[in-house]
Amino acid sequence: MSGEVERIRQQALAELQQASSTAALAEWHGRYLGRRGELTQLMRRISQVPPEERPAYGQAVNALKEELAARFEQREAEVKRSELSQRLAAEAVDVTLPGRAADVGGLHPVTQMIREVTTIFNHLGFQTVEGPEVEYGYYAFDALNIPQDHPARDVWDTIFIVSDQKEIVLRPHTSPMQIRTMERRQPPVRVVVPGRCYRFEAVDATHEWHFHQIEGLAVDEHITMADLKGTLAEFARQLFGQERKVRFRCDYFPFVEPGVDFAIDCMFCRGEGCRVCKGTGWIEILGAGMVHPQVLRNVGYDPERYTGWAFGMGVERLVMLKYGVPDIRLFYQGDLRFLAQFNRALA
Amino acid sequence: MKVPVRWLKELVPTELSAREIAERLTLAGLEVEAITEIGSTWDNIYVGVVERIEPHPNADRLVLATVDAGTHRLTVVTGAPNIAPGQKVALALPGATLYDGHSVEPKLITLKPSTIRGVRSEGMVCSEKELGLSDEHEGIMVLHADAPVGVPLREYLGDQVLELEITPNLVHAFSVVGVARELGALIGQRVRYPERAPLPVGGPEGLVTIEAPDLCYRFVGVVIEDVKVGPSPWWMQQRLQAAGMRPINNVVDITNYVMLEWGQPQHAFDRDRLREGRIVVRRARPGEKIETLDGVLRELDPDTLVIADAERPVGIAGVMGGLESEITEQTRTVLLETANFEMRSIRRTARAQRLRTEASARFERGLDPNLAWEGATRAIALFQQLIPGCRVTAVVDIYPNPRLPRQLCMPRSEIPRLLGVDFPDELVLEVLDRLEFQPELRQEDGRAVIIVQVPTYRSDVTIAADLVEEVARVIGYHELPEALPLGRTVPVEISPELRLVRAVQDTLVAAGLTEVITYPMVDEAALRALLPGAATFPDRYGLYPRPERELVRAVNPIRPEWAIMRPSLLPSLLRSAAENLKFNRAVAIFETGKVYLPRGLDELPDERRTLGCLLAGARHLRDLYHEERPVDYFDLKGVLETLLPRIGAPDLRFRPLTHPSLHPGRAAEVLVKGQPVGILGEVHPEVVEAFEIDPDLRVVFAEIDLQRLLEVGLEPPRLRPVSRYQPIDQDFAVVVDEATPATEVADAIMAGAGALAVSVRLFDIYRGPAIPAGKKSLAFRVTFSAPDRPLSDEELARLRERIEGHLRRRVKGELRR
Ligand SMILES: [Zn+2]
Repeated sequence: MSGEVERIRQQALAELQQASSTAALAEWHGRYLGRRGELTQLMRRISQVPPEERPAYGQAVNALKEELAARFEQREAEVKRSELSQRLAAEAVDVTLPGRAADVGGLHPVTQMIREVTTIFNHLGFQTVEGPEVEYGYYAFDALNIPQDHPARDVWDTIFIVSDQKEIVLRPHTSPMQIRTMERRQPPVRVVVPGRCYRFEAVDATHEWHFHQIEGLAVDEHITMADLKGTLAEFARQLFGQERKVRFRCDYFPFVEPGVDFAIDCMFCRGEGCRVCKGTGWIEILGAGMVHPQVLRNVGYDPERYTGWAFGMGVERLVMLKYGVPDIRLFYQGDLRFLAQFNRALA
Repeated sequence: MKVPVRWLKELVPTELSAREIAERLTLAGLEVEAITEIGSTWDNIYVGVVERIEPHPNADRLVLATVDAGTHRLTVVTGAPNIAPGQKVALALPGATLYDGHSVEPKLITLKPSTIRGVRSEGMVCSEKELGLSDEHEGIMVLHADAPVGVPLREYLGDQVLELEITPNLVHAFSVVGVARELGALIGQRVRYPERAPLPVGGPEGLVTIEAPDLCYRFVGVVIEDVKVGPSPWWMQQRLQAAGMRPINNVVDITNYVMLEWGQPQHAFDRDRLREGRIVVRRARPGEKIETLDGVLRELDPDTLVIADAERPVGIAGVMGGLESEITEQTRTVLLETANFEMRSIRRTARAQRLRTEASARFERGLDPNLAWEGATRAIALFQQLIPGCRVTAVVDIYPNPRLPRQLCMPRSEIPRLLGVDFPDELVLEVLDRLEFQPELRQEDGRAVIIVQVPTYRSDVTIAADLVEEVARVIGYHELPEALPLGRTVPVEISPELRLVRAVQDTLVAAGLTEVITYPMVDEAALRALLPGAATFPDRYGLYPRPERELVRAVNPIRPEWAIMRPSLLPSLLRSAAENLKFNRAVAIFETGKVYLPRGLDELPDERRTLGCLLAGARHLRDLYHEERPVDYFDLKGVLETLLPRIGAPDLRFRPLTHPSLHPGRAAEVLVKGQPVGILGEVHPEVVEAFEIDPDLRVVFAEIDLQRLLEVGLEPPRLRPVSRYQPIDQDFAVVVDEATPATEVADAIMAGAGALAVSVRLFDIYRGPAIPAGKKSLAFRVTFSAPDRPLSDEELARLRERIEGHLRRRVKGELRR
């Protein structure tokens, strides 16, 4: 009988090797290891074995059963793997075909720059606030030490709004929020103010009648021009690169004294002089200065106790410098072919 | 303002180059915007003398001139009518670069020897235009008789000119002397002031009368007799031209020269043409007119300050003189006006007359009245130098309230308090001394103060902060250290509105829309176009009802189409879409801008932060995976259904809307917590067409009032427990009347399911033979889940029964089996 066991073993193993599909394996499993399979038959035939050989026979059949089960499992894994690799081979694609696009839009470059700049100042302790675009002449000019009929007023070519008694204008700068902020709160004040501004100005590649500014204001005891210089230098380096050199020079704005023009070394020519910097090696990016004592007095602050500084910058100009945009008019023509080039998650 | 460097260096001798001077001035607040070179192209051009003139053998209008320029001696053919033997001229040799005398635009050419009508011309005698000095091309430029023959023209005539931007505070630097004072203070050198003539005051009573002392603070009148009018000397013409002024004649040139040198405008009248030979400074009388030097007849309003004679105006004070009393070749007696006027009045007049002159630009910045005397005495020195034999016969000086130096007292501590750094006393005092402020350091009430006497020409220095700026700018802002503000900090909170705007922008970007920023101004045509087929204005602008009052309007818009502050984002976005559809098949844009709703006439408008979204054209461009299809209402509704819950707007609803600008069957009002916050709909095809978009393209628009959303109340996420048991999906096919809105059916299901329904999702709408006519079948998949237990079959069956009941009662719906 043991010859029979060995014969079945040989046969089963040979057939197992032949079975190369899941279906053939299942069939093999039924034939040998199933309820009515060959091994069950072998075990039943134990009665035909002489009693003294029975234990050995039983052991042999059981050993065979275990062996076949183990071999089956092994073979099954092989077949499955081979079937899978066939399927995967059949599924091969041209990996260079275009993917299914996830449609994502983008923020306007001016919005991106406002976020970037205000975030830098938020981290330096400045709170973002906003103010009205349609503004009283008082806030836009008078309270800022720019009286009626003063030649300084000509610097801001203004668009006026129809009104009756009071002068109402489209704000030509974000500086009115200096006054509104100080009227509303007591020092310490540290705010940054982004917003739209308007000027009665002919439009060309570098001038828009509609543009954005970011204003900054810090007022407290012990606020100095050295702080202003350090803060602006820090800002410029964060925005335009740590290697930037900065230049502070004297300039005039009626609502500051001393007044400052703040420039960085030209990133296009590294200070050598080129068309962008008009050969000077410096690019002016904002005006600033110590808040004029009269402005502090106008909001009821004591200029002997408090000092402060303010700055204002054009947002479009920053974008133009940072990304080499050649013409300011591109920002508000709304051409998606232009805007889409700024669709970045990180600026 | 243009400052020739040779002139400047005559007053402040220095070895510094023009570029170095420009740098110092710029850092100190006098911005040099450009340095132009006079004669930078003048290679191969020399001073020559015309030896003889011979006729051209073949042409009557041409002559042959032999010119000696030292090392070179040439014969040139010229047609210049003014050429004469003995003249000093600019001789250009072959290879010289010249401006084309016949070209309107500046165009450089290189000179080559040529043959003109059979005679060889080896060079050229140049006109001013050919040298780039002016547009003058009538004849050749004749140099001064002193001009050294053989010297390169660049050495003799070349110069560099600083172009300075004069900010409104810089009236003291609006002259060569003023810039020289600044430069002198910066480099520590005293100014060599030009020579002035002593002027004994005395003259007939009534020569000058000031009837408007509130507008005229000082009038120096000088009568000069035996004047011979002629051209001014070459050096003066040259400087006037370098500074951008045209030479006229010696008398006028002297006044202009003094203005450029000292900043004090003057005017010379032909005294014989003044009625009664006298001057009255007064306001214009009703109906008075004057023809000014530019040949324009001007009406004068009664606010205008005029210089008049006994009868009529002969000049607009501080702006421009009159044609009738101008200096001519016949003039023998000059009345020279050197005056000081009230700045605001001059500014108003210059604006009203649209006449900005060199004089008005200086007066309206507020000139020092003491400068009038310096101007007058300098002018007389020049008269005596240029017109030998002329005599000063009368001098009047009406100056009732002389301006004195202002004394200022600055606490010594003000410098470190403002600058954050201190400088040694000696340095501070030296700087103020260089500025001619006569500083004095004193102890007063136990503290150190600096007392200065501010020169009257420094009207911009009135307070201690101004002195601090003077000290800082002369020492140089580069000496300031870089620090960061110390002391108290302020909590940095970001306002709910800004946070909302940011969340809206970020979500819409993620949803595939691109942000645009548009001009917030529109015109009436655009507003009218929002109402198709009618002549009147729409009763609603986008989301907002038409205001009772006139819209917010600009008095002086840049262009007529930007005259009205927009009451809705719809016209702005339609315009943007129209432009973009020319280049793109799919447009998906939004703007988080403002709309401007009027309040009272003298009140600021309500600037409401509003979201506008617009989809137009195709939704997906055709590619490997998508067919292209036109956008429709549901594309944008889906965007809003993503956006609003994400920003915390609870209980979002849509309800049919009739709106003049929107499709009558595809428009909805957007409600949050039952409150209207926006509109959504396909734009009416006639509106689409009015904005020059193909009306066959669908355009979908939504406008959401973000401020209203904040007022209605956005909510933070409300957490519900997450169940650890398997959710169970069940489908409900509900047969309802065709007119029943799908939302109501979904609401009925939610009401029936109570808290156990996690989501209700409509996945099919069926109309057809299997259900009665006039009905539709809506198939919903409802997901059930309980937080604390698995749902049993019995519980599910009970839920199904309750849902069935709600459907029957609320929407007359029957479940299909
Ligand atoms: Zn550069």
